[in-house]
Amino acid sequence: MEEFFNNIKESFKDAVLEFETINIKVGSTEWIEAHKKLRDEFNLKFFSWLSAVDWDNDVSVGEAPKESVSPCFEIITCLSDLANTNLITVSTSIDKSDPKIDSLIEVYAGANWHEREAHEMFGINFENHPNLEKLYLPDGYEGNPMLKSFELISREVKPWPGDVDVEGMPEESESDETPDD
Amino acid sequence: MINALDPQNMNNFSEASVSVEIETEDMTLNIGPQHPSTHGVLRLVAKVDGEKVHDVKPVLGYMHRGYEKLAEVRTYPQITTLVNRIDWVAGFSNEIPFIAGAERLMEIEVPERAKHIRLILTEMARISSHFVFNGAYALEVGALTPIFYAMEDRERVLDLIESVTGGRFHPNFNRIGGVKPAAGAGPTSKKNIQDLPAGFYRDTKVAMEKVIEAADQFQNLIGGNEVFKKRTKNVGVLTAETAEAYGVSGPILRASGVKSDLRTQTDYLPYDQFDYDIPVGENGDCYDRWDVRVKEMVESAKIVLQAIDSMPSGPLQAKVPKVIKVPKGRTYVRAENPKGEMGYYIISDGGLGPYRLKVRTASFSNVSILPIMLEGALLPDLIAIMGSLDFVLGDVDR
Repeated sequence: MEEFFNNIKESFKDAVLEFETINIKVGSTEWIEAHKKLRDEFNLKFFSWLSAVDWDNDVSVGEAPKESVSPCFEIITCLSDLANTNLITVSTSIDKSDPKIDSLIEVYAGANWHEREAHEMFGINFENHPNLEKLYLPDGYEGNPMLKSFELISREVKPWPGDVDVEGMPEESESDETPDD
Repeated sequence: MINALDPQNMNNFSEASVSVEIETEDMTLNIGPQHPSTHGVLRLVAKVDGEKVHDVKPVLGYMHRGYEKLAEVRTYPQITTLVNRIDWVAGFSNEIPFIAGAERLMEIEVPERAKHIRLILTEMARISSHFVFNGAYALEVGALTPIFYAMEDRERVLDLIESVTGGRFHPNFNRIGGVKPAAGAGPTSKKNIQDLPAGFYRDTKVAMEKVIEAADQFQNLIGGNEVFKKRTKNVGVLTAETAEAYGVSGPILRASGVKSDLRTQTDYLPYDQFDYDIPVGENGDCYDRWDVRVKEMVESAKIVLQAIDSMPSGPLQAKVPKVIKVPKGRTYVRAENPKGEMGYYIISDGGLGPYRLKVRTASFSNVSILPIMLEGALLPDLIAIMGSLDFVLGDVDR
């Protein structure tokens, strides 16, 4: 792990190793080049997954980020090497007003379905994708469900009963006694 | 008058019928979503030219439940209940990588005994998943008998899972920091905790020996069958390179000759303490995919037998705060599930629930290979190839 990280660091200066996961950030214009390099020079031939994150301060579901973030889409891929434990995540940020990036299909054929999923869930356009249709959602479905601004209707109608459990809990008590002793 | 029954005239007749050019058109064949061999609700739209299939388009989404969105409005302990239902044939193993991810972010050291119990139950989930495959796959290629044996044998394993966790399919047994006390356990005060039900070791030994016997029986009953061999050997060959680029993992990848198993490559559970083989195929055809899984059942049974012999004593739970808050950070934890690599990418912002949870499931990538494998295949082979991928739609759609 350490040795592989040091090798990666020589090529990608801002690679970070955090919680046993190596992440490198690349610019959105170098997206294809970076993946080609990782595949050919570092032998990361196994395409595990691709997905996106919607970074926004104004959220309608879940908790908003504690510190203010600049709104953007972060696209993440995960690559690994089957012969050993080497694994890496690659991420890039793209602008929300014009969310587009080159498709990875020419480098990893398996990116096809993952990009279709990210397209329908976040509204990201993958350029040069041969078949950017909806994957899960029915035809004519409007909206991108994974956006933080997309409301979860059932939650609007009826508050989640689990909230009671979480909020009503006392902070951890000092004593370690159990009631049935 | 020509006598049609005169053998001398026969040649002329057959030649005449062949020389006529018939204009044919491709037929579109819709398979599913309610076809029994699709293991859920997968729909395939295929073009059929005579007996040849081409341009297969899988249509997904009939079971899309939006787990990634739902996870954003739930706390970490609540998400375990959700993820149980992703691959329902092996519910227990879905929990492991998620719990391991949260523990890694919280920097919790899980007690050895809890890890062993997790390992035993994960392997049992693998065995029960492969039992289902053995029964269902034989059924799909035309053998009715094996499923009765497979279901009966699986029941023994499910009974064991139930005796510990209280659930046959959705155990919801893992807690951040360890496991919960067993369902069939005695009084659970902190001083006198009984984690496994009485007689568990004895019953497990009996059941695991039966599993090894059953695998042997399947080798004879299914693998020794001429019809099964004819229908699966050299059918649906998948090369290692294609598998890799598409992210195909698990037994399918190993059947194509790649010796890759996350149990040995990563340390989410203490597999390094046990002695077992990783079965690998040679040709990457349907037969090898079946064969690898049967051999894996034996290896899993061996792991369980070793694990109950070397069960460490000690607590079941690490000390964790009552309200679980996961510190800011991101990590990816992957595990070798019965169907392949399953992983969770957790982005935590320090709250009660994750800011974003990406669920990587094995069947999703495994099914994405279908259009390539089915290109030019014969129609009767379509079901044989599809079945050999052993997918579950809950695992594809999430």
